[in-house]
Amino acid sequence: MDGYIYNWNVVWDSLPELQQGLIITLQISIVGMALAIIFGLTFAMGRMSNYGYVKKFSTGVVNFARSIPLFVLLFWIYYGLSLKFAINLTAFQAGAIALGITGGAYMAEVFRGGIEAIDLGQREAALAIGLSSSKAFTLVVLPQAIRIIVPQGVNVYVGLLKGATIVSVIGVADMIYVAQYISLNSFTPFEMYSAVGIAFISLTLSVAGLAYLLERRLNRSSANV
Amino acid sequence: MSETLLKINNVTKVFGTHVVLKDIDLDIVKGEVVCIIGPSGSGKSTLLRCINFIAPPDQGEIIFEGKTWKRFHSRFNIFANRKYEGELPRLRSEIGMVFQHFNVFPHMTAVENVMLGLTKVRKEGRAKAREIAEQSLIQVGLGDKLNQYPEKLSGGQKQRVAIARALALNPKVMLFDEVTSSLDPELVSGILDEIRRLAKDGMTMVIVTHEMNFAFQVANRIVFMDEGRIVTMGTPDEIRNTTDPRARAFLSSILG
Ligand SMILES: Nc1ncnc2c1ncn2[C@@H]1O[C@H](COP(=O)(O)OP(=O)(O)O)[C@@H](O)[C@H]1O
Ligand SMILES: [Mg+2]
Repeated sequence: MDGYIYNWNVVWDSLPELQQGLIITLQISIVGMALAIIFGLTFAMGRMSNYGYVKKFSTGVVNFARSIPLFVLLFWIYYGLSLKFAINLTAFQAGAIALGITGGAYMAEVFRGGIEAIDLGQREAALAIGLSSSKAFTLVVLPQAIRIIVPQGVNVYVGLLKGATIVSVIGVADMIYVAQYISLNSFTPFEMYSAVGIAFISLTLSVAGLAYLLERRLNRSSANV
Repeated sequence: MSETLLKINNVTKVFGTHVVLKDIDLDIVKGEVVCIIGPSGSGKSTLLRCINFIAPPDQGEIIFEGKTWKRFHSRFNIFANRKYEGELPRLRSEIGMVFQHFNVFPHMTAVENVMLGLTKVRKEGRAKAREIAEQSLIQVGLGDKLNQYPEKLSGGQKQRVAIARALALNPKVMLFDEVTSSLDPELVSGILDEIRRLAKDGMTMVIVTHEMNFAFQVANRIVFMDEGRIVTMGTPDEIRNTTDPRARAFLSSILG
């Protein structure tokens, strides 16, 4: 980096824009995670289905979704849908859906792992008192599985948060986009991306901290049914 | 004269290619206590689980209070399956079941464990449910543990919670599956006493057990199973003096 003149003032001057970017990053990762939870739970149930073809289909979808790079997924959803099917999504929508699909593939495994870790006897005891299959799941199995699912779900979320940096390629004005845009004009990429890095590290640490508190709470008391 | 409450008709159960129950027939009369004995792996647990369709029989049927229950499964008609699944809770809520490993719900206190069926199956209001649940726990001697989580309870206390959870729903028949087998020896007799108390109150019960002295004492009828079949059955005296070689071998191995 010979001859490179650091100019940290640019960072300070662009804090409002960076903050805007941060909010977009948070928003898109949260919407993406919400979708990931819905997809994940759906396909986890599919993989545990009694119907062979539902099981195979769900397993196939999960494996497929896991093997597509987020980058490619993003282009398919944003440009592909538009070109092939005239479905025009905003960059934000496309980004959130892509994150939802990638995250969903991981969440499916997290849900399945958490649910399968619960002793079968729990479900049987719930059925034996006359609960329907779905109530046995929502009132007895899931509340126990949640304790396993939450910490792993947080890992998936942190992954999505990092994945969210990719959405700038289709023009979502997230932090990376802001950093790129500003450093192009001010020739300070090192400073701008470092600022983004620091923001991400603090974000990830805060999420981990929140998760720790949540986990402690889950372990202390429990669902009041 | 005595009324058949539960009829197990020609029940067969297969896991993969393994025939675990073969053509089981057994009628249980109201108020009767039937003990099922037999070597490990002979299908005793599976038979109990067929009765309340936790493990639905592959062939044959269960007739409970005159209503016939048969397995149903369509490969493609999900709606028909759902309709059938939706009927089963009615059968199950009339049949209490207690398991070897207690299976109490660890995320609920003792009283919440018992309340769950009352609120969600019997549709009682919370106040009424709590009252019934507390009463039920007091009856099994847990009046001072109402708000404890299972992790704070001993094995014997957990099993009492499980018994109270079943009894609170006022079942017509109770199924016990080796409910003392995972208890420390000093806790066994307390649980057996609870079952004796139920017998005295006239509860219909099907009890899988290895506690032979208890079985001889409490049973009206003892059923000996081996390799998925009922080999012989009779009154405690008849079983004590059985001439069936397999039953004799089993009894001498367990009684010493
Ligand atoms: N869910 C299951 N899947 C496959 N095999 C099973 C299952 N449950 C029981 N079995 C088999 O069925 C046989 C009878 O088991 P079980 O009814 O538990 O016997 P018991 O209670 O008399 O010891 C055993 O060989 C066991 O391995
Ligand atoms: Mg058994």
